[in-house]
This record gives sequence, C-alpha cells and structure tokens, in this order.
Amino acid sequence: MMNIETENPLTAVESSGQRLTMEAVPVAALVAGEAVITAWGDGRLRIFRADSALQTIDLHRGAILSMALAADLSVLTGGDDGRFVRTTPEGETETLAELPRKWVDHVATGSNGNIACSVGREVHVREPAGFRQVLEHPSTVGGIAFDRKSKRLAVAHYGGVTIWSREARRWKSSALKWAGSHTRVSWSPDDRFLMTAMQENALHGWRMRDKADLTMSGYPAKVSGLVWTGALPWLATTGADSAILWPFDGARGPMGREPLQLCSVGGGLVTAICTAPGREVILAGFSDGSVVFSEIGADAESFVVRRGQGAAVSAVAVTASGMLFVADEAGRVLWVSLAGRTNQP
Amino acid sequence: MTAQIPVTVLTGFLGAGKTTLLNRILTEQHGRKYAVIVNEFGETGIDNELVVDADEEIFEMNNGCICCTVRGDLIRILSGLMKRRDFDGILIETTGMADPAPVAQTFYVDQEVADRTRLDAIVTVVDAVNLPTHLDEAHEAAEQIAFADVILLNKVDLVDAAGLTNVEDRIRAINPYAGILRSEKCGVALDKVLGLDAFSLERVLEIEPDFLDGDHDHEHDEDITSISLHSETPLDPDLFNLWFGRLLREKGQDILRSKGILNFAGSDERYVIQGVHMLMDGSYLGPWPKDGLRQSKLVFIGRNLDSMALKEGYEACRAA
Repeated sequence: MMNIETENPLTAVESSGQRLTMEAVPVAALVAGEAVITAWGDGRLRIFRADSALQTIDLHRGAILSMALAADLSVLTGGDDGRFVRTTPEGETETLAELPRKWVDHVATGSNGNIACSVGREVHVREPAGFRQVLEHPSTVGGIAFDRKSKRLAVAHYGGVTIWSREARRWKSSALKWAGSHTRVSWSPDDRFLMTAMQENALHGWRMRDKADLTMSGYPAKVSGLVWTGALPWLATTGADSAILWPFDGARGPMGREPLQLCSVGGGLVTAICTAPGREVILAGFSDGSVVFSEIGADAESFVVRRGQGAAVSAVAVTASGMLFVADEAGRVLWVSLAGRTNQP
Repeated sequence: MTAQIPVTVLTGFLGAGKTTLLNRILTEQHGRKYAVIVNEFGETGIDNELVVDADEEIFEMNNGCICCTVRGDLIRILSGLMKRRDFDGILIETTGMADPAPVAQTFYVDQEVADRTRLDAIVTVVDAVNLPTHLDEAHEAAEQIAFADVILLNKVDLVDAAGLTNVEDRIRAINPYAGILRSEKCGVALDKVLGLDAFSLERVLEIEPDFLDGDHDHEHDEDITSISLHSETPLDPDLFNLWFGRLLREKGQDILRSKGILNFAGSDERYVIQGVHMLMDGSYLGPWPKDGLRQSKLVFIGRNLDSMALKEGYEACRAA
C-alpha cells in the first residue's frame, strides 16, 4: 500500500492555508464581500473571513438544502426542516416561513429585493412591498431563478420551464417545453438565454427572443453546477473530465460552436466549479478531491491548487481578494489565500 | 469512499401490513436509525424522527429506453438525505398500487443515487386472506410479487392450511426465487428483511436450482411467470451479449427481472448478471468452485415469456 502522504503531498498553496475537518456534508458556498458563507448538512452556516475566526450559526434542525445571497448581503436558506430563513450579515436570523414535514428545496433572490422559495410543486414569491403569491407547477420544482431585473422568474421542472412574468397585478405564467426532467435553471447575465441542466447528462436552453432551443449533450455525468463568468460571457459547467465553458456571445451564442475545455489535469470528473469576482478565471473541483485553477483562454495553463484526497469536491468559492474555500464530501475544508500565486504557474 | 446507504423498499397493497412492518423496524432495539420515505396515501401513525413525504412522480428518461421510467421524487429526496449523516439506512414505503419498476430503476439510472445508496431489497407484504382477490383484480399485485426479493406473507393465522398452500403456490408461480416468510402481524426476525443486499451480483450466486421447474398444474394461469434456463456447455460471450442485448431491447418491457450466472468459454470466472427491465448490471465474479459443475443458469420473471424462443435463443449462444 502506498503511503498517501508521499503519493499526494500537499501543494504549496495547501500547506500555506488552513486545513480543517467538519463533521458534516458541505451543501453550498457563496461569496459575500470578503466573506465566504457556507451551508452544511448539519443545519449550520459556517462563515469564513480572512481576518477573523470561523463563525458558526446554528440555523436549521436538519440539513440546509439551498442558499442564496440577497443584494443587502443577507443570506436566505431552505432546509429539510421546512423552514425558509433569512440571516443578516450581523448573524441575526428570521424565519420567513415554516412548513412542517415539507422541504424547502430551492431559494432565490432578485435584484429588487424579491425573494422566492420552492416547496414541492409550489413556489412562494414575496416582494419587498409585501405582495405575495403562490405559484403552482405540474411537478416538483428542480430550480428557480429571477432574471436580472427581477421581472421574470424561471422555474424548472419535469417537462420544461415555467416563466412567471410580473404583470400589473400579479405573476403570470408561460411555458417553455422540453421533454425530460430539468434539475437546475440559470439566466445568462444579459437575460438573452435561459439554460437548464437535465437529468440526462445534458444542458438544455432557450434563446428568449424567439424561443429557439439549444441542447448540449455528451456530458459523461449529470451537470450539477452552472456558473456564468467573464465579459463574453461564458457558461462554465461541471459534469465532464474538464471544466466545460460555452461561449454566449453573438446572436447565436454557443449554437454550432465548440466549448473551451479547461482545468483538465484534475482527477475524475468536475463536481464543483466557481469563478472569482471580476476576474476571468475558473476553479474546478474534481471527484478525486483535486482543485485546479485556470485563466480563461484557449491556451491557458492549469495549476493544481489542491491534490486529490479521495473525496469529491462539493463546493469551491473564491473572493475578490483571492481567499479560496474548498470543501469535500468528507467534510475536509481548505481555506487559503491565492493572492500572488495564481499568476505564476 | 463514502459508504453506500442501504435502501429497503416496502411494497404491498393497502391493508397488507406495510405500516405494521415499518413501525416494527422503527421501534425495535437494533441500534440503527432509519430515514423513512412515506407515500402520500400512506396509513398514518409512523413514529419516527426522520419522515419524508413523497409525492410519486414518474419520469420518462430521454435515453431511447422506452420502459425506462424513474421516480423523480426519489432522486430529489435521496439526494437531499445524502446531505445528512444522522441515519444508517433508508426505508421507502410505496403506495399500495405502485409498480416497483420505476423505484428499482431509479437506483440504476441516476448516477448520484447509485453512487451514494444501494438498493438492499424489495420487500413485498401480502395479505394471505386477500391476495387471491388482489391477483385476480389488479395487475399491480403480481408486479409487486414479481419484483420482490422477500415476500412477507402476513395474516397466515386467518386462513386455513389449504388456503395457505394455494396462496403460496400462486406466489411461486409468479416468482419462485423470492423467499416467503409466513407471519402474523408482520412478526418476523428483522434480519430476514433488512441487510439482504439482494441487488448485489454476489447474491445472484445463491439462486437455487429451480425446484419448481417442469410440469405441475397451476390452478390459475398467472399473468406473470418465470422461466429458468440451464446448460453445462460453455457459452460464447459475444453471441450471448448480442442475443441478450437484443432480447432486453425488444422484450424489456415484458421482462421484469432477470438474473444469471454464466459459464463463458475461455474464462475461469463466473459471469454474473442482474437486471430490471432493460437495465442490467454484469461482471465477472470470481472463479468457479474447483470441483463443481460449471452450469450456466439464467432466470427471467415477466409477462408473455415465450419459453421455446428463449430456450432456442439461449442455446444458440453455445460456444462451438
């Protein structure tokens, strides 16, 4: 038996950072200013900051299932305890809804203060002025997303996406149909395209102007992460042996074009992906636990930030100043500064 | 690296005793903690900390496999449960009229579910008093028996000896490979229904020689039956894969479950297969016993099984 230590010595980045182990499964990580807010299967938020100790907030009685950041930097979470909770940057919590024996599967925030959560087939929308509406769907909701102006809400489910538009008095629905189960949904930053991840190892999408369909298949695994990055913009995805980046410039976006494949030096398949605020970079976490950094470009060089330790990476996030958070399924965390390292291979 | 969580599926008609069995598993002292997924029409009174309500959603897959349906709600719930670490196993109670196929297929089709969990067994609870009526009136009753790894024949105290023999004969005519446990009020040892690992290829090796093979009269012609094929001549792996692949593509809707231990020419190892409709697992699984007979066995449970055509197709796979 090979010794793990000699087989996988720490990278220089890893040895300069903090390595911790949590007794929980990581669920999500998002960047809020200089902090990385992480949600866990033990119902806790763990907040990482460069200059202070780890902050832990006991929030849900079971697992946190989803998390989203509001414009005021408060965090919304949904849990398998049926609670929809808001946590302010000061750490104060407010239960927005409580549905006994239900799961709050997905949460979303809009730029104007709109918030939404999904519970089974229903989506509950709340507007800052107090208006509320319950939106019904034909099957359980796979994902929800507001568009840039928060005038439309996309809801993915079996058979397609329902687009809810805010009309004068209420939210009204229209349907985008595509056979199969849609498990994630995301608007392009300019709202021209709407993309979903599917149960069948593929992406589907629509060009909103004319509802033209886009299908990207050939992924070896289900796509679990969709991240928009860069000015072009690119849509970076998990689910393959490298980070797959689809170009969304021009009228046709990725139609008929090849994606960029970056970070291919990791082991196994990409299971988590992120970009850094304001930078054209990609960090991809792999099923063997490795994390690879790359600038975005056809000839970009990859750089191994963390070596594989056997457990798949569940979450990666990086702040504007280069603080990197990595968590794997075994609960192992790496918290480290990338500043000054990633420009020199 | 993460251990797979065992999942036990409980099927059976309303009133057969699923909830009684579920409550026994949840309340007896065995040191294990279960998450329970109950159905929307379930009988009330399940006393457990971790209960999830499932709303049966059957999804078709866009993968060219026409009978390939999965339970979308289970994919979502199982993936949610995998975020927790505070239980050791999962119990799924299906609705009384559920077809077990989409439940079983979920464990083959969704990679995340397949990686994190394993289908331990399908346990079907039947009511010795009412089973004959259920079999005559609803095709789901036979499907639940066909898919079962274990059949808990409940309420045996309420039928006479002749009635019990009749019920067991009808069960065996549909599925001779499942173990039958007689019980009153689901009073069976829990290790007979939990921790069976019945969907592993290793368990296929325990298929008993088909003691019901041959002619015996069935009082009823069951809609679902089983067929077993044997041979001592080695099989040609290419011919077999060609034939078996085509069989599952063309007849996969009718073939509910298939299992086999195969003696492939040119290999000293046993090749083992196990399938649900068109989905199949297969692997070499260790050498044949040193002095034992290298007998291939292949069993099917399904509808409209044409025994002559199956036998001919199988025999044409013999290595030259």
